[in-house]
Amino acid sequence: MENYDKSLKKIFKSRLQAIQKLPKIDNNKSIVDILEEKGISRRDFMKWASYMTAYLGLSSSFVPTVAKAAEVADRLPIIWLHMAECTGCSESLLRTDTPTIDSLIFDYISLEYHETIMAASGWQAEQNLEGAIEKYKGKYILMVEGGIPTKLDGHFLTLGAFAKTGQDVAKEAADGAAAIFAIGTCSSFGGIQAAAPNPTGAVPLSEITGKPVINVPGCPPSEKNIVGTLLHYILYGTLPALDAYNRPKWAYENRIHDLCERRGHFDAGEFVQSFGDEGAKKGYCLYKMGCKGPYTFNNCSKERFNQHTSWPIQAGHGCIGCSEPQFWDKMGPFEEPMADHLFHGPFGGLGADATVDKIGISLLTVTAIGIAAHAAISAVKPPKE
Amino acid sequence: MAQLNESLKIPCKEEEVEFGVAFRWQHWIRALSIVVLAVSGFYLAYPFLSPPVNAEPTGFLYALFRSWHEIFGFVLISVILYKTFLFFFSKQHANERTSLGDFLNPKVWMAQIKYYLLIEKHPAIKGAYNPLQFVAYVSFYIMIFLLILTGLILYTNVYHSGFGGLINGPMRFFESLFGGLSTVRLFHHILTWGIILFVTVHVYMAIYNSIFGKEGGMDAIFSGLKWKKKH
Repeated sequence: MENYDKSLKKIFKSRLQAIQKLPKIDNNKSIVDILEEKGISRRDFMKWASYMTAYLGLSSSFVPTVAKAAEVADRLPIIWLHMAECTGCSESLLRTDTPTIDSLIFDYISLEYHETIMAASGWQAEQNLEGAIEKYKGKYILMVEGGIPTKLDGHFLTLGAFAKTGQDVAKEAADGAAAIFAIGTCSSFGGIQAAAPNPTGAVPLSEITGKPVINVPGCPPSEKNIVGTLLHYILYGTLPALDAYNRPKWAYENRIHDLCERRGHFDAGEFVQSFGDEGAKKGYCLYKMGCKGPYTFNNCSKERFNQHTSWPIQAGHGCIGCSEPQFWDKMGPFEEPMADHLFHGPFGGLGADATVDKIGISLLTVTAIGIAAHAAISAVKPPKE
Repeated sequence: MAQLNESLKIPCKEEEVEFGVAFRWQHWIRALSIVVLAVSGFYLAYPFLSPPVNAEPTGFLYALFRSWHEIFGFVLISVILYKTFLFFFSKQHANERTSLGDFLNPKVWMAQIKYYLLIEKHPAIKGAYNPLQFVAYVSFYIMIFLLILTGLILYTNVYHSGFGGLINGPMRFFESLFGGLSTVRLFHHILTWGIILFVTVHVYMAIYNSIFGKEGGMDAIFSGLKWKKKH
């Protein structure tokens, strides 16, 4: 273990040295200054660093290394693209009323291009993007928010003064990137845009580039998962351990259900029957109210949102499974359990309101009628012997 | 007395062993498992019972249903594996394998359908099952094996150590083939209905053939013996 730690430290050290040599955008300010300016003490910062260290599964001797990684994060050029999306992922990081260290770091990392927060517009913005791709070729991190429409040759989404399609912009940016993160469910799995009938042919980022894409899904993903993925890249320079859907295992290995605070009530069979009932007041399990926690892999039940303040299940609504592929189609209706899943209009729309049980009971009824008819006819006219 | 016995014997039929003891036991263990699994499964899908009010957090009703579901799930897996072995290797049950010949014979197919449509006589079959029966059983096994697979995927996501941990790797692979855990759950539910429909038709056909076939077809699954017409 010690040897393992030693060789890890060596890798981290050379990575950090290399990143430190990169130029900063603003030479007058560093992440340390910014944090101090915002009233975050060195002590708080180190507490945060030890937290992130544990989070990434490293031993406590790595705390200074992780702190260092956060400090040099502003040197790593990042290009952030917006595709077919709602900007919710960016907004959730930018608009917190009490920004966490994660969101402060995110605000001051070297965002070379980010449509929501950049000052440039029009031709100038176009130039910034092209310039950044050219200048940092093979070095920058590409973060993409939103699904990528592909129908009509991608013309459902055109961007900028040249009216380039989102597909082309994303492809170009991906070609020169050192690492690609798909931020949010839309760029990871297509999200709501890709929900049936998917008129724009929206696809996840991983389908339009041949390069490996790290998916950080969620609607929005928690800031810890975004910054943690970035820190992991700064330290290792490689892909983290990923699950079958390319989600980093350190964040997406467990089900919501596994670490849910209401799990005891689930096993006890104590369920909320309707919103606002006695069970809801007592904090019973939300399974019958359609909680999709048992089918969703994420760390919300441990991490929560807004500085660990709360999360949907704590607030009294079930999980909707937003970090799962095609959650919009697969998890609906959101306030009904999976047993009441509705199918997408089989039999030309006739079956749109059908659940498995409804279809099952109908087939059983038809079978019973068939049996009764066959038995009755056989009784009158027995089969030949 | 001896005369009476003689007169009771049905002259044109002879007793024949249809199902061996191993076969009959696995059939009834399986039948019980299916009933327990279906009932507890519907509870797990939509918990329709609430436990009595208890100040102590000890009434784990949902966990209890899940336990019985898992216990009978593993019982079912065992008997299904055992039955699969019997089908392929048992000498006593070679008549099951012989059915494949009838299954591949289109003439027997037509005759069998005509029998159920009350048009023709029952065809002479060489094996234990007629072609329609054979198809029904093959689809039953396909459904049951998919139920076992989806069941084990759901199991490994709840129990991370022991057997659950051992099968985790391959099961997570199948999980992604299904397209996520929620879809696995949905398939498990749909397949349950397939089994319910199978059981309904199976019981009807067993009774039907027992009444009209006049060979004591229903007795065979209890005593193992069947009265075959002398040919």
